[in-house]
Amino acid sequence: MTDTGSWLGDYALTLSHWLLVAGAVAGAVLLTYFLLTKLGVKRESATGIALIMPWVLGFLIFSLFPFLASFYLSFTDYNILRPISLEKLPPLVGFRNYVYAFTEDPNFWPSIRLTLLNGAIGIPLGMAGSLFTAMLLARNVKGVGIWRTIYYLPAVLPAAAMALLWRWMFNPSNGLINTILSPVLWLFGWDKPGWFTDTNLVLPSYVIMGMWGIFGTTTVILLAGLKNIPSDLYEAATIDGAGKVGQFRNVTIPMLTPTLFYVLVTSMIASLQLFTVALFIQTPRSAGQFLNVYIWQQAFGAQKMGYASALAWILMVMTLILTLLVFRSSSLWIYYESEVRQEKPPGARKRGLFGGLRATQQASGAEGTVGGGH
Amino acid sequence: MKPRTFSTFSLMIAVIMLLTACGDSGTPATAPTNTAPAAAATQPGPAGATDVPATSAPSGNKTKVILTTWAGADEAKELQVVIDKVNASATDFEIVHQPNPADYYTKIQTMIAGNTAPDLMWLSQEYVANYADNGAVLDLTDMLGKMSDMPAAKLDDYYPGTLEVARYNGKLWGLPWIAAPVMLYYNVDAFQKAGINPPDESWTWDTFKDAAKKLTVKDASGNVTQYGTSFNGWPPVHMFIWQAGGEVLSADLKSSPIDSSEAVQGEQFYKDIVFSPDYAVPEAVIKEQGFGEMAKAGKVAMFFGGAADDLDYAHAKDPKNADLKIALVPKGPKSRTTFAYTAVTVASARTKNPEITTKALAALTDGIHHWKVLAPRKSLATVDVISASVPGKKDSAPIIIKAAEDMRGFRNVPRQAEWDTIFWESFQDLLYHDKGTAADLAKTARPKLEEVLPK
Amino acid sequence: MATTARTQAQRISEQEKVQSKYGDIKREKKVSNSVTYFLLALGAAIVLVPFGWMISTSLTARDQLFVYPPQIIPNPVAWQNYLEAWNALPVSFTRFTANTLFITVLAMSAEILTCSLVAYGFARFRFPGRNIIFLIMLSTMMLPGVVTLVPQFIMWRELKLVDTYDPLVLGAWFAWGPSYIFLLRQFFMSIPREIEEAAIIDGANAFQIYWRIMLPLVKPALLAIAVLSFIGNWNNFLGPLIYLNTGEKYPMIMALKFFEQSLSKEAPLFHYMMAMSAMMALPLLVLYFLMQRNLIEGITVGAVKG
Repeated sequence: MTDTGSWLGDYALTLSHWLLVAGAVAGAVLLTYFLLTKLGVKRESATGIALIMPWVLGFLIFSLFPFLASFYLSFTDYNILRPISLEKLPPLVGFRNYVYAFTEDPNFWPSIRLTLLNGAIGIPLGMAGSLFTAMLLARNVKGVGIWRTIYYLPAVLPAAAMALLWRWMFNPSNGLINTILSPVLWLFGWDKPGWFTDTNLVLPSYVIMGMWGIFGTTTVILLAGLKNIPSDLYEAATIDGAGKVGQFRNVTIPMLTPTLFYVLVTSMIASLQLFTVALFIQTPRSAGQFLNVYIWQQAFGAQKMGYASALAWILMVMTLILTLLVFRSSSLWIYYESEVRQEKPPGARKRGLFGGLRATQQASGAEGTVGGGH
Repeated sequence: MKPRTFSTFSLMIAVIMLLTACGDSGTPATAPTNTAPAAAATQPGPAGATDVPATSAPSGNKTKVILTTWAGADEAKELQVVIDKVNASATDFEIVHQPNPADYYTKIQTMIAGNTAPDLMWLSQEYVANYADNGAVLDLTDMLGKMSDMPAAKLDDYYPGTLEVARYNGKLWGLPWIAAPVMLYYNVDAFQKAGINPPDESWTWDTFKDAAKKLTVKDASGNVTQYGTSFNGWPPVHMFIWQAGGEVLSADLKSSPIDSSEAVQGEQFYKDIVFSPDYAVPEAVIKEQGFGEMAKAGKVAMFFGGAADDLDYAHAKDPKNADLKIALVPKGPKSRTTFAYTAVTVASARTKNPEITTKALAALTDGIHHWKVLAPRKSLATVDVISASVPGKKDSAPIIIKAAEDMRGFRNVPRQAEWDTIFWESFQDLLYHDKGTAADLAKTARPKLEEVLPK
Repeated sequence: MATTARTQAQRISEQEKVQSKYGDIKREKKVSNSVTYFLLALGAAIVLVPFGWMISTSLTARDQLFVYPPQIIPNPVAWQNYLEAWNALPVSFTRFTANTLFITVLAMSAEILTCSLVAYGFARFRFPGRNIIFLIMLSTMMLPGVVTLVPQFIMWRELKLVDTYDPLVLGAWFAWGPSYIFLLRQFFMSIPREIEEAAIIDGANAFQIYWRIMLPLVKPALLAIAVLSFIGNWNNFLGPLIYLNTGEKYPMIMALKFFEQSLSKEAPLFHYMMAMSAMMALPLLVLYFLMQRNLIEGITVGAVKG
């Protein structure tokens, strides 16, 4: 069955398509350039537009079109097993899917709850832990590189491997965690916790696992942020008579807010889109599913593609609202050094979602000495 | 990435740019060219042609028939032995096994949806009506009729109650490859100690209930050391409803009379025992200790299990396990109907060569019938066949054969999954947890159940 | 590398000078230092113990799996687990590994090329609507992938490309990964314009400048993105889960799921799962150790530089 001939056949097919698409994309870039210059567009503009063509095409084909199609599907009861074509689009059923999700589906709210709480508990805890560790590392300890290497390790482990590993460690009867905890359990006369198998402990188990997983990434990012704070600020604070706590409150935190903001946004989006990990762990149904997993199950398992599309849209609106809230609030607590400096990107005065996005851009440095020089 | 790789890429792109016409943008719409069967499918091709185009080179002129199952690593190895035998005697097909043990149904549905369904697939009985209704599986009625020389295609050899699960809308959609009737397993030592005769054909619901009470043993401080029985969600409550003469789905699939007086009688019997500490293992204890472990450790005196379970010969394999024997299920007010766990092999509606696929299905099914207990065919219900399939089952074989006469599967509707969910959430779960009487709960649940029945 | 180490050392010594100037009592510093190292070591232990447990389980014999208390060092050490697991499935892991590598390399290289091209376009050329388009691109990061999942699946199905590797790699040519574009744009913007201007005077066109001048200059960033993209594609699960159906075409991550045996009555084969998880993680760990510096720069640059 595993004869090499069929391997190469499988690969050759995709490889040929891969090259073909490469050519097509390159062709599209060139074509755009020539068309635009023919139309009398300035060379600089034409080049710029041509260069971003791969993304524009991808956006239209793989984002915008599916995005609109999924909006349509969310108002149908399309079944996965039935064929679909432009002539025979599944009929509209109105808001039934949305109404069903919010009022009837017994699995909807537990899933929302699990998804949101996992983020709401896990992210702040993770950030606090990471900040603490990053500050320890910033204390001129020896071998920062080695510590950093170790702490970042979990982020390199494949999500699937991490999920299997933690499921195994959380194994109630003879898992590593319960074995380590056994003296404590014995002392208080408690039973072994069921972790992923116990409806009430599913959430804490995910939070613990999640902290282990993202802890390193966040630490590394925050450490870089800390190292970036000019030491003259600390000197100035010390001269002003600020103690350790004062320094932390008046120098470290304000200077670190852009980094914290970046970490918050990225981990929020990541936690709302959790999928692989959850698929490798079996939990009781009553504990709810992560929304992404539930959507996938509804689409491909329960055959309800229409309903799944509606759920996906609910998830998206939820993500947008949360992101918007974070961005909106950002002006209240983020301190931008570069705001007092120069080179604002055009239009930075406008706030709102895009204004906030611009803020991240800014936070991540429009100038700076990145690249090449290291 | 090394600079050299980059320049290779640049070279490649340059070449492609030269070769590709400028207007050619977008994704390639070219169909895969190397998958010969796909190409063959687009040709009209005479149905039932025996001279299959020699497209699948590695296997000569044998048609490749892809089989997808939920078999895990170990089961797949056993199944491969069966398949190898079937393939060796086949002249025109070669079955290729592609197990997909994880998220099985989601996976095969994704395959069906992607127009890449395997030719043959295993389905648990609940899915047949649903797949048939959605046009995903092949109607085998006529083709199997023409193949009655193949042992597994002789339909009158099957136990009627098992073949029924493969029928929907008057047509046959698959062949059952296993039908494991629910049996009563009992702990020999526990019965001896309590001075109770082992369960036999004279047992009724009342005998069972009395015994369960007597077999629940407590120590001096009131802790239960041995439980009388367990209804750990198994057998399905349906079995007792049937035994009382009721139904959960009418024969025409148009109603769910779970509130009939017969049905309520069965439901009530189940409820009285299910989590009652006088008879059965409480829910929390099962969750904590795991039912299988408790049974093997002899902590449960008698319980229901499938005929295929290894519990009755676990003691012979390892004396640490409790000595369990098998018996018929107790008789209900109307009958001794027992539920048969039934699974079928179906063929994809889009299989390229329906005739050969059906032939492969029949041949494979016969092969599996000599591997699994119990094969749902009367001619194979012998001690010899059973002990040849699973030697450990030799002693239990006569009783299993006896039970087979009364076995049946579920009736199923296209929206079976939804029906089952409603049945569980709006009825069974509430009933077990004492949220109302069987009659009341059944009355409120019935309209909800009937909402998802075919109109 | 040497430069970084030196600047770091310099920075440390400078800071130490600052600190001693403001007179921390030495003893207190010693105590707090040992507390620091203790906490760091504790954290490292929390990170490393699960890795150790993974290796330990992967070397445990099947009948020892559920023994209580679990053995830290398996007895006997079942080295053969790796070989057995490698061949335990109908398809060998050799094929699974080759598939994973194939998918990863194709997707990664296409991704790097197009993302850098697009990033260059955003960074260096002014055109109408540039900022809006850039923001739209950034906000696609927030779109949950599942929203487009169903229609995308139907698209690939209509192209008859389900159960090929195509859906997993072809999209990469369309500058997948807004975060990579964002990151590379930051790097491009940090390069002084004078360098290009010289080339323009020499008559080079935009593509030549991109290829000969800009790309080499952002090599560290490209490497970082290569590592990130490699990890991302190596671990991609949703794609293969939906688009691949034939066992022979599966990447390693799908094969891992086989050991779970969910519908079979068999118990999950954790020793095999851990062994193959380790095998799947190994290339990533090696890559990480080799490319650490680039990778860490890559993940931090988006957040801090500036």
